[in-house]
Amino acid sequence: MEYTREIYWNVGHGATTLVPMYLLSLAAVAILVYAFLQRVKIYKQGQKLDRTDQLPLRVTMMVKKVLLQSKVLNVRGPGLAHALFFWGFFLLFLGTCLIVLQADFTDLFFGIKFLQGSFYLFFSLTLDIAGLVAIVMLIGLLIRRFIVRPAGLENTKDDVIMHGLLLAILISGFVIEGARMAVTEMGTPLAAWSPVGLWVAKALSSMGEPAVRGLHSNLWWLHLLMVIIFIAIIPFTKFRHIFTTSANYLFTDLGPKGLIPTIDMEDEEAESFGAATVTDMTWKDIFDADACTSCKRCQDRCPAWATDKPLSPMKMVQQIGEIAFRDPAASLPETIEKDVLWACTTCRACQEICPANIEHVNKIIDMRRNLVLMEGEFPGEEVMTAMENTEVNGNPLGLAFASRGDWAEGLPVVFLGQSTDVDILYFVGCYASFDKRNQAIAKAFVQLCDAAGVRVGILGKEEKCCGEPMRKMGNEYLYQMLANENIEQIKGYGITQIVTTCPHCFNTLNKDYRDLGLDVTVSHYTEYLAKLLEQGRLNLTPQSFDCTYHDSCYLGRYNDIYQAPRTLLAAAGAQLTEMEKHGIESFCCSAGGGRILADENIGTRISEKRAQMAAETGAPTLISNCPFCLTMFEDGVKGADLDEQLKPKDLAEILVERISG
Amino acid sequence: MKILVCIKQVPDMESKFKVNAAGNWYDDTDLAWRMNEYDEYAVEQAVQLKQQVGEADLTVLCIGSDRVRETMKKALAMGCDRGAHIADDESYLKDSYAIASLIVSYAKDRGFDLIFTGMQSQDRGSGQVGVLVAEMLGIPSLTTLVEFNYADGTVTAKRELEGGIKAKVSCATPALVTCQLGLNTPRYPTLPNIMKAKKKELISTPAAELNPEASLLEVLQVAPPEKKGGGLVLEGDPADLADQLIKILKEKTTALA
Repeated sequence: MEYTREIYWNVGHGATTLVPMYLLSLAAVAILVYAFLQRVKIYKQGQKLDRTDQLPLRVTMMVKKVLLQSKVLNVRGPGLAHALFFWGFFLLFLGTCLIVLQADFTDLFFGIKFLQGSFYLFFSLTLDIAGLVAIVMLIGLLIRRFIVRPAGLENTKDDVIMHGLLLAILISGFVIEGARMAVTEMGTPLAAWSPVGLWVAKALSSMGEPAVRGLHSNLWWLHLLMVIIFIAIIPFTKFRHIFTTSANYLFTDLGPKGLIPTIDMEDEEAESFGAATVTDMTWKDIFDADACTSCKRCQDRCPAWATDKPLSPMKMVQQIGEIAFRDPAASLPETIEKDVLWACTTCRACQEICPANIEHVNKIIDMRRNLVLMEGEFPGEEVMTAMENTEVNGNPLGLAFASRGDWAEGLPVVFLGQSTDVDILYFVGCYASFDKRNQAIAKAFVQLCDAAGVRVGILGKEEKCCGEPMRKMGNEYLYQMLANENIEQIKGYGITQIVTTCPHCFNTLNKDYRDLGLDVTVSHYTEYLAKLLEQGRLNLTPQSFDCTYHDSCYLGRYNDIYQAPRTLLAAAGAQLTEMEKHGIESFCCSAGGGRILADENIGTRISEKRAQMAAETGAPTLISNCPFCLTMFEDGVKGADLDEQLKPKDLAEILVERISG
Repeated sequence: MKILVCIKQVPDMESKFKVNAAGNWYDDTDLAWRMNEYDEYAVEQAVQLKQQVGEADLTVLCIGSDRVRETMKKALAMGCDRGAHIADDESYLKDSYAIASLIVSYAKDRGFDLIFTGMQSQDRGSGQVGVLVAEMLGIPSLTTLVEFNYADGTVTAKRELEGGIKAKVSCATPALVTCQLGLNTPRYPTLPNIMKAKKKELISTPAAELNPEASLLEVLQVAPPEKKGGGLVLEGDPADLADQLIKILKEKTTALA
């Protein structure tokens, strides 16, 4: 016997079935296309941005991310449930396509049937399992959403419609299959290849054939109708994420990670800077709102949200969408609220975890730019003072620019103004230059270089703040002024290798400065020293000690440097106890995004929360790799009353104590 | 309405100061320069007044070398309409009287309704230039203002007196006011205004052309303050420390008298 089944069994394959079926399908697709085209008009209110360059790469990335569900799977529980549901539903979709292909095309016109024989058995079993998995996962997600109700997960009408409709489609599908099997397959070897269908068939078989047939044909049409509704409402409900989230993988920012568009300050035509309204943003910023699935993973990881500040990256993105659809002329900073915009530390936790590849951080910077450049507004007077200090003395602390290199007195450091016979330019940064506590990092680093035979040069009073905090606060003008002066100095000395001890300087010199013409190798000291260690130039004598390690945002998430500092820690003899939030999930110290310049007067302190996380490991030392982090943790341990049990230290301070010989 | 605001460029007070070779002022190498703090309040108030009355022409005046033009650009970016730079590389040798005479020489025939200055400069701190200008022009001056109001040719203001006491004063324009901390929060210039400022009129006039009066006062010598004994760190248990502290306060201060 040839294994197969009769397609359109019981409903018939004539015009009375096919005409309404295809007309309905066509109508559904027409509604879907029309509604999306309407949405495209909304997206197009935004500025131009090319996100279709390197198309083959983009398409490959999209297909991979959609089919493998890799971004979704970054969060285990619900992520796995979504992925399994997706795979199940996707297989059912493919199965339906194959049926249509055979019944209404290859068989109809050419007499070719492929859903038969052992392939049919495989097909039947696969779809049965896929359907079962999809139902189980959907019920699991439904229980999570409506009964367990995780904090922050908001239920809307869309969620009810989506879960209900999908469940009804899947269950009705099995009942239709069961009904067909109850009449046609009971007692045949074929039945075993549809285990779920068989289970339903057994339950139905006592009804008698006429009743089963009646049930079948009614349900068949109902099932079809529900699928038609499903297709038609995709653009109007969160179902749209099937298309928009997938498309967002296509339109993704190809990097470098965290790069901010550089404003052309020479453009005399420009009358407005930054985003005051959605029409100042790019189309992608509006599209991002449509790609958001409200999964709240960003909100769960936002250090501002976790410490009772008004910023939720998810809500901010959605608000931009609402404004674009309802009132595109509305002021973004007023509608979203300034305190929301100022709260961001640009830690990138939202962006790294977002399963829809939404770009949160640059939207905030764009709106801050408008506040600073067009309104002269800052989160507080202390920030304005820091800006003015930087204009005058090249550092936000307001200390004499001429004393910038004073920390290096008596150390093996050359001022480039005196000699350029050096191996590296150490770009010291403001905190390691001026802040007493952080000068220990600068001193340790040059001693480590000296031990490895590396000749270190610094710019001294010719160095200025890299401009990172100013830029992230929205002060693009001051940033470019500082950057251009630094670049001129660096180029003037013909430097080929720069090392920084500050991840903010590192990220800025390495990425942002390239837009302004700096093309020099830039390394963070952790990577640089790890290389010296590997080459055998830096020798350390390990001394065992217990510690935990904090991945700074700008070394970790922005630059994916997680291993080098751990290699150095291991070489130093560290017994490392990781915090629960480490690596890509690390929790910001609170100083990023220019917040180092601002008082934190809303909610609780981020640095104290992080200090508590470190203390929970039981380790007596909290190692970081960033002067901003160290500054915050020195405050954080005191604020959280942990200064007796937890000492913040920079990695360089640990290493310098272990130089061999 | 015509408004004049007089500003001075001063070194940032965090700078590393050294006495110059002549021993009569500070050396200007390695100094960072900025607008005198009190003059920032003056500029801000002048700009607010211009915005209030609508029709007004606001001139910013500064005396010094070409270096001061940078500071003047900030005033222009904050909202002044034009700049009058009185070029004088040795303005630091002029006393308040000579400086005031330069300003008067510029201002006397220009019919300013209101002149704003800072209460004093952060580097010399004589606090005299504003009042001398008013005296020489024969107009009233209101000093150390912490509140300023203008309506229909009348200035109504609050002055800060010793011990935080405030005096309410009023006078008719033309008049001169000197501005004090607490009067306002100087604005941060917006980028379009910084761009516009680059194209605003900024004319330099050599000081000699304005025939300044000779100084009445000569700086004989400047020197860093003598190093006195540093802080005293007390150690021991708290009860003992309290006793030690009381003893010191009794012997060396009048705090407990």
